Amino acid sequence: MAQHFSPTADTWLRAGVAAVALAVVVGFAVLFAWVRGQDHNDVARTPPQPVAFSHKHHVAQLGIDCRYCHTSVETAADAGLPGTHICMSCHSQVWTNSTLLAPVRASLAHDRSLVWQRVARVPDYVYFRHDIHVAKGVPCSECHGRIDRMQLTYRKVAFEMQWCLDCHRNPATRLRPAAAVTDPDWTPATPGPNPLPAGGRKAMVAAYHLKPERDLTHCAVCHR
Amino acid sequence: MTPVDIWRAPGGPTAETLEALELEFPMLARLPGMNRRTLLRVMGASLAMAGLTGCKPERSKDAVPYVTQPEGITASEAQYYATAVPFDGWAQPALATAHVGRPTRLDGNPEHPASRGKSDAFLQAAVLDLYDPDRSQAVLTDGAPASWAAFDTALAGWRTAWARSGGAGVRLVLGPTTSPTLIAQLARLRAAYPKLGVVHLPAVGDGLREAASVAAFGKPLQGHVALDRARTVVAIDDDLLGPGPRQVAQMLAWATRRGDAADRQHLYVAEPTPTLTGAAADTRRAVAAGRLPLLVEAIAAHVGIGAVPPGLDTAEAAWAVRMTAALRRDAGAALLAVGPYLPPATQALGFAVNDRLGNSGRTLWWSEPIAARGDDLDALAADLAAGRVDVAVALGCNPVYDAPALPWARARLRLHAGSHVDETARASRWHLPLHHALEAWSDGRAVDGTATLTQPLVDPLYDTRSLHGVVAALTGDTRSDRAIVRASWPMPDAAWRRAVHDGFTGGAAVPVAVVAKLPAAPPAPAAGIEAVFRPDPTIWDGARANNAWLQELPKPLLKTVWDNVVGVSAVLAAKLGLANGDMVRVAAGGRHVDGPAWVLPGQAAATVTLFLGHGRTAAGQVGNGVGYDAGPFRGSAWTLADVAVTKLDAVHAVATMQMQQAIDGPGIIRVVKDARGKAGENAPQDSLYPALAADAKPNSPPEPRWGMVIDLDKCTGCGACTVACQSENNIPVVGRDQVARGRVMHWLRVDRYHSGPVAAPRSFFQPVPCMHCEQAPCETGCPVHATVHGPDGVNEMVYNRCIGTRTCSSYCPYKVRRFNWLDYTGGAPASVEAQRNPDVTVRARGVMEKCTYCIQRIRTATVAAARDDRAIGADEVVTACQSACPSGAIKFGDLNDPRNVAAVARKDPRNYAMLEHLGVRPRTTYLARIVPDEEA
Repeated sequence: MAQHFSPTADTWLRAGVAAVALAVVVGFAVLFAWVRGQDHNDVARTPPQPVAFSHKHHVAQLGIDCRYCHTSVETAADAGLPGTHICMSCHSQVWTNSTLLAPVRASLAHDRSLVWQRVARVPDYVYFRHDIHVAKGVPCSECHGRIDRMQLTYRKVAFEMQWCLDCHRNPATRLRPAAAVTDPDWTPATPGPNPLPAGGRKAMVAAYHLKPERDLTHCAVCHR
Repeated sequence: MTPVDIWRAPGGPTAETLEALELEFPMLARLPGMNRRTLLRVMGASLAMAGLTGCKPERSKDAVPYVTQPEGITASEAQYYATAVPFDGWAQPALATAHVGRPTRLDGNPEHPASRGKSDAFLQAAVLDLYDPDRSQAVLTDGAPASWAAFDTALAGWRTAWARSGGAGVRLVLGPTTSPTLIAQLARLRAAYPKLGVVHLPAVGDGLREAASVAAFGKPLQGHVALDRARTVVAIDDDLLGPGPRQVAQMLAWATRRGDAADRQHLYVAEPTPTLTGAAADTRRAVAAGRLPLLVEAIAAHVGIGAVPPGLDTAEAAWAVRMTAALRRDAGAALLAVGPYLPPATQALGFAVNDRLGNSGRTLWWSEPIAARGDDLDALAADLAAGRVDVAVALGCNPVYDAPALPWARARLRLHAGSHVDETARASRWHLPLHHALEAWSDGRAVDGTATLTQPLVDPLYDTRSLHGVVAALTGDTRSDRAIVRASWPMPDAAWRRAVHDGFTGGAAVPVAVVAKLPAAPPAPAAGIEAVFRPDPTIWDGARANNAWLQELPKPLLKTVWDNVVGVSAVLAAKLGLANGDMVRVAAGGRHVDGPAWVLPGQAAATVTLFLGHGRTAAGQVGNGVGYDAGPFRGSAWTLADVAVTKLDAVHAVATMQMQQAIDGPGIIRVVKDARGKAGENAPQDSLYPALAADAKPNSPPEPRWGMVIDLDKCTGCGACTVACQSENNIPVVGRDQVARGRVMHWLRVDRYHSGPVAAPRSFFQPVPCMHCEQAPCETGCPVHATVHGPDGVNEMVYNRCIGTRTCSSYCPYKVRRFNWLDYTGGAPASVEAQRNPDVTVRARGVMEKCTYCIQRIRTATVAAARDDRAIGADEVVTACQSACPSGAIKFGDLNDPRNVAAVARKDPRNYAMLEHLGVRPRTTYLARIVPDEEA
């Protein structure tokens, strides 16, 4: 009776099994890399916006404070996306005929909202609040990056849970005096009028009455 | 401490229910025709499909700011407005929550004197009606879409004709109303067309009150009871604490005396069919409705009015003597409350007894009528029957269903204005869609007579008009609704703005001094079986039949849902061989009605109870065909003597929660004899869990330690908490079939227990939310840490981690966890999605959920306090159930804060933990029911 399998069949089988195993491993690795990769999380992308708004120009060059436009950042969960009338509070006086601003003028004239593309956002199941972070001295730039250097706005970090928890577990290295949260140039070395208290950033944790391990890391802090 | 020997259903659990109870998930045990191969096939398919749930289109990234940001509105924060919602014509004061202009929730208005922030299930559920996908959205002529312009053109023609004829042959039919604006509009309408008739359909909860007032005082007056002033209340078939427009106000007043340890109110009840008042009473007696007039006469005789009637049995005679003694003891601070469905002469006699005892003007007082009064309903029926009505207009009511005796179809031209294309709309030429209360300017009076304003929270969702607008159009008045309502309240603009902001203006009704005349003797009782009619406990008169929250709210005493039943006594059931669900026919006077029998513990032996509000044919997709319609059988009677009850050869499967989520153990319900009675601390028993040191507290002060205490002595079982929780926490409705499978999703259930004999049991209610055990068994069970403990003691649910093993539920001794067996939320109509609370996750299929102690409210308060660098206020966090509870039975807060209501209640000697012996240290505890040692 003839043999069913050639002498090399065993080798082929082993090679095949190894290839399948390798494919599975590589497949998962690629998938994981894609999921965790910046590309998937919209980091560093500048989505098309109705107006080519430059934070760099308004913040760094003109020195407008974040809160002039993002009005509810100290009192509400949402920072507040400025309504057209906030844009027009200046642009009814300056750059009144700029073609770049035509959509803004049209929005006011026709009472139709501008439709922006959100750059920084967290998933629906995350109940993030701006007000508490600002009140406890978490600077805007910690999450949003150096907005004052962005010609077009993009997302600085991927907003993954691990990244949130890094700070919730150890906020000390990031905190500032509350008055300095919107100051893009603040550093401990160059604090301007808002220096760190004696004891440095460690002292800030106590001053803000933060108990990171107890109060900031359980699930219901962000999920409910 | 007295643990009570309790039972849930008459006759105890059957072998079948016992078997079901043994199974952890009875809902799984009924998979039809499933063999191993099919199961494997289905499982394989499920696995394959499960992967697809990840494939969802990406959420839109559009960010749309206002053009001009309105002052005070932030997209993420809720706004609150005082307004009101009508119930039987009365304005129910409300504080509405809106998110970006979207009303999401109704609570009581905390500043309003009639409700003080409390609410009932009907008010809580009214917000869902706004988003009802079955709401009428367009003008219809003969069922075909038309337009308001077409109606306005037609109306102009009619008005010319009415101006010539003075409105002869024109009849307006409205529901009950207390709106000063509407009353003034109707007066103007009558002035413009002197021969036009206006009829108000009676409020179903008022029964024969008006006739009783006429019998006693010769004129209609509005009665008010002041339970907070009464030390002794004898209620004869008067459901003072039961559902209806006065429930919140009366429960509030009752609770102040009930909770007064030094001067607790005595409450004695005699009634034919069990009510919430009877369940709360110190003693309760089941007496046929036909015999109740005798009891009132006997009490009257003992206080010196008339003679003791013949025909009382010894027990009844002795009862009347005891009641009279109690009433005399507290004369001036007592109340003999005679129910609205009893004969007017009997009610009038009750008024006279209160006069004689000096209670009138104190616990019972009268004011001029508050609700609008119109022409006689019977005269309208006669006019319709005789063909004397040319134009019949139903405004915001449904006479074809509510008043089946009206031959509506005999009017030559019929118009209907209402929120739904209901039975009357279908029988009418024109249908005009109306606003929901949250879309309209209006006004009304609360049950205490306080003028209450309704302001719109949202632009009309559809092309509708307000009732005021439609009535105004009849006289050619083209002012806006706001202008019409504003004109009813002559006051400076600043005062008006204040009134709209507060939601009310002016004071309560003014008492009038009257003395009841002695009425003619009421009719002698008839023998045989009697039928009594009651509004449905959760659907009321049927106008709310399309509200799924109310359909799925268990009837407090019956624990049935999505149905109405024929309540029978155990004696009658035994005599006729009836089991729950057996169809019976109730017949009298050549008419009959069929419905499923249901044994009511505590029902008078020869009384059957028929519930109104069901059997709608044009309520909408929720309410159509639910239950039977007892209206045509009732006619205008509230008690029918000598009815025939026969068993039919059919069984109707009534969905009930009577035996669901049943728990077992010693001392679930505890009873003490007075307010100083001690209820807690069973002898220590073996526990599965390592003992905590006696003084161990998971956190030490000043950190919050959230906990809840529920006072069983103040809980009447009304169910407001269940709906309040549903509205706050985006809890889905699952429908009759799913409820029957034990898959109801309510996070807060109200368990009902009885003890004692079926004929005269004592009834107990026990709201059961998550216990937030300090040593929570569920947490040890979860393989993926989807349920974990927070530092403040809240047992947290992390929906995103949950993979649906349901282990936590099988480990839960209190059965408070609910599993999303199907996708109950995904298929909701877009309009219903708009109701959802954005602060709470909407759960998907395959996820476990349960009471979170309203974690969103805890977090909001915690963050607000931290933001402002202050401590959380003693009673700053109020859960949804607590905010609704009209009697204040539910108390919540930081147990480490000695000023907090729950912390104070914890120190009450009546405090006890359910299933204490398990050693899981629940954070939710109970205060034992107080049952004085008295003879029934």
